[in-house]
Amino acid sequence: MARYGMVIDLNTCIGCNACTMACKAEHATPSGIFWAKVLEKEVGKFPVARRIFLPVLCNHCKNPICQEVCPTGATYKREDGIVLIDYDMCIGCRSCMEACPYGPRSFYEEDGAYYPGAETPFEKMKQDFPEGIVMKCNFCVERVDQGMDPACVVTCVTQCRFFGDLDDPRSEVSRLVAEKKARPLLAEKGLDPSVFYIGG
Amino acid sequence: MAARIDEFLIGVKPQREWGWLVISYLFLGGAGAGLFLISLYIDHAWAGLLGLLVLVLGTLLLLLDLGRPERFWRAFFRPWSSWISRGCFFITLMVFFGALEIAPRMPGLDFLWDSGGALGSTIRAVAAAAAVLVMIYTGFVLSPSPAIPFWNSALFPAIFFAYSLLAGIDVLILASPLLPGASLDLVSLERLQIYLALACLLLVLSHLSVMSSSAVAARESIRLLTRGKWGLLFLGGVIGAGLVIPLILSWAALGTSQTQAVFAFTVILALLRLFGDYLFRFLVIRVGLYDPLL
Repeated sequence: MARYGMVIDLNTCIGCNACTMACKAEHATPSGIFWAKVLEKEVGKFPVARRIFLPVLCNHCKNPICQEVCPTGATYKREDGIVLIDYDMCIGCRSCMEACPYGPRSFYEEDGAYYPGAETPFEKMKQDFPEGIVMKCNFCVERVDQGMDPACVVTCVTQCRFFGDLDDPRSEVSRLVAEKKARPLLAEKGLDPSVFYIGG
Repeated sequence: MAARIDEFLIGVKPQREWGWLVISYLFLGGAGAGLFLISLYIDHAWAGLLGLLVLVLGTLLLLLDLGRPERFWRAFFRPWSSWISRGCFFITLMVFFGALEIAPRMPGLDFLWDSGGALGSTIRAVAAAAAVLVMIYTGFVLSPSPAIPFWNSALFPAIFFAYSLLAGIDVLILASPLLPGASLDLVSLERLQIYLALACLLLVLSHLSVMSSSAVAARESIRLLTRGKWGLLFLGGVIGAGLVIPLILSWAALGTSQTQAVFAFTVILALLRLFGDYLFRFLVIRVGLYDPLL
């Protein structure tokens, strides 16, 4: 069985946030909620200061602590390794958010329209999230099931994101992990994430 | 809902999801279970009833904290992996068996069964075990968290147990003039509080000591508690007003032979310790910080 994962090359990420916006466009996530985002940090001192960028999303861990602590079973893992949330089962206790060290989850508390009372046709069509639940990146499961890559991958202007089957040694992601020594974030937490980073 | 700037920065980040409703539950749930347990020890049914009511009040606050409180029953679904789910069972067990334990000792209900018989003893044992589990499980909710190093400590169940018992006895001391039934031996209770406060102090200091050599976020939590924005509340409120001052005063008061003076002190000391307990739980939740991703 496949284990979907992603490799992100930090050497080529320019922090443009195209992935952030592609994710918003794909899922119509509510105002203030980002399933994918680009973190940044200033390092060094003038005149050799620079900004470093870190695109983040749900790590779809092999040992998802979010699934372990969820009291209802709302968080579950598919056979292909994609970790999802069943909104109909979530009670909004946020224990998953407290347990996950990667911070990709958001609590959707109330009306998430950017301009309440004046939702766009796009928002009306796509924003059908129930309130009071936790949400996060789903690896664009609706696209993956149709054989496509996630929206953040296909939109990346520097092609720093790669998506594929980590269990297939011939896949590009497996090759990158092996050859470029890509590594996950906070590996010491023991969650075995499926998102790897090159460089940084 | 506006995004916060620090959401987009690499660095140590505070947890913001659990607030005063969860903190109040930790306090009331612990105090209620502690009070119930001590009521079994001193054999005081009305104190036990008060303990159950305090626990139920705390649980209602916890329900209010849920995004979808009407679905609370789903939290019983995963006891084999989730401590929150296990906690739901512990609370239910405690309320159910606690009520059964108290029932035959209430006026007009003594026909139910003999509370000193085999059935009564079994009910009492189950209720006591459930109360202990309610006191400690919240520590297990926090301690397995790989995300927040300050919570990632095996000491939390023990700390919460000691604090819950301390708070339970303090609620009992404050409520004692209003409780029907036999009068309470406040001097003995106050003597017990000396040992419990000492245990709390040692456990909290041990936790800080362990965390001071832990991950970056845990060290930052320690800094916030000792020298940062929460320093005054932690050192002055939790350690000073909540534990050390009551310990010293209690020690001094129990050294005298004047019971009246002891009683006057006891109420003040109970209020101080309860203040310290709530503050401790508040600060534990507020200084929960996530490790930086890079």
